[in-house]
Amino acid sequence: MEIKLKKYSSTYIIEVVGDMDLYSSFELKNVVTKMLAKDIKNYVVDLAKVDYIDSSGIGVLIHIFSNIKKLNRILKISNVHGSVEKVIKLTKLSQYFPIVGSVKEALIQIEQAKKVQ
Amino acid sequence: MFEHKEIIIDDNNKLLNREGLFLKEFQSDFRQVRFFSMVIVQKAPPEIKEINLLEQQISELIKNAVKHGNNKDINKKVRIWAAFDTSFAHVIVEDEGEGFKQLEDWNEFNKKRSECFENQDFDAMEKYFAYRTDKSDENDGGNALFATLEYWDGGVVFNNKKNCIAVYKNFEKKKHGIDLNK
Repeated sequence: MEIKLKKYSSTYIIEVVGDMDLYSSFELKNVVTKMLAKDIKNYVVDLAKVDYIDSSGIGVLIHIFSNIKKLNRILKISNVHGSVEKVIKLTKLSQYFPIVGSVKEALIQIEQAKKVQ
Repeated sequence: MFEHKEIIIDDNNKLLNREGLFLKEFQSDFRQVRFFSMVIVQKAPPEIKEINLLEQQISELIKNAVKHGNNKDINKKVRIWAAFDTSFAHVIVEDEGEGFKQLEDWNEFNKKRSECFENQDFDAMEKYFAYRTDKSDENDGGNALFATLEYWDGGVVFNNKKNCIAVYKNFEKKKHGIDLNK
């Protein structure tokens, strides 16, 4: 698994590339934990290039979303597809996770949320 | 309508019958969990693999056996029996551990979790995202068995010792292709 970071305004786009499985998922948790410590406010986790997720990966998504929410920061998860979408449905978390269609949509929603704040 | 599923504990359940299933044995090497799953799944017809969903679901069962059952003790074996067809998948995974002692507690936890989801009670739901025991570590998602119970629609059964899980899934025969939106 590889993690690529891009910045757009005050939002960081975290592009995950590869499998989010029992051997690699913790890397995303570590990256987000460091970013939270650096006071980064808005996050998009883009899963366009993730075709496999297991319970460890789901656990990491729950962990980062819950920590980001606790600090009143914003997370969007984009481009959930294929079996990743199916596994999220099997765990019944589709309604809970802040899932949006695309990175563009995520950025628009974050901008709108910032205006309200 | 609220439908509650639970894991059955029954030595005599027909899903634990190994007749007609092939057997593979592995040492409890945690680094090879996904490889073991791929070895099993390569015997399945492509129609039921759903890209990698079948592999992922079997991988969770093997991971539980290797990590929680055998405590990653390389001298302990995991035995996997399986049979596949275009209309079903039947898998049994047995470890050499002491058994999943908290299984009844897990069923109770899952029941409460299902009720929260049914009522869309997101605040209460957060308590039920992960099932943890004193042996769980930070890399345990604690959510694998919830998906197991949803995915394996033909049943999820443990033996009375609780060191052996049997699962069954029905597949509809499809004319062509895989409908990922279904």
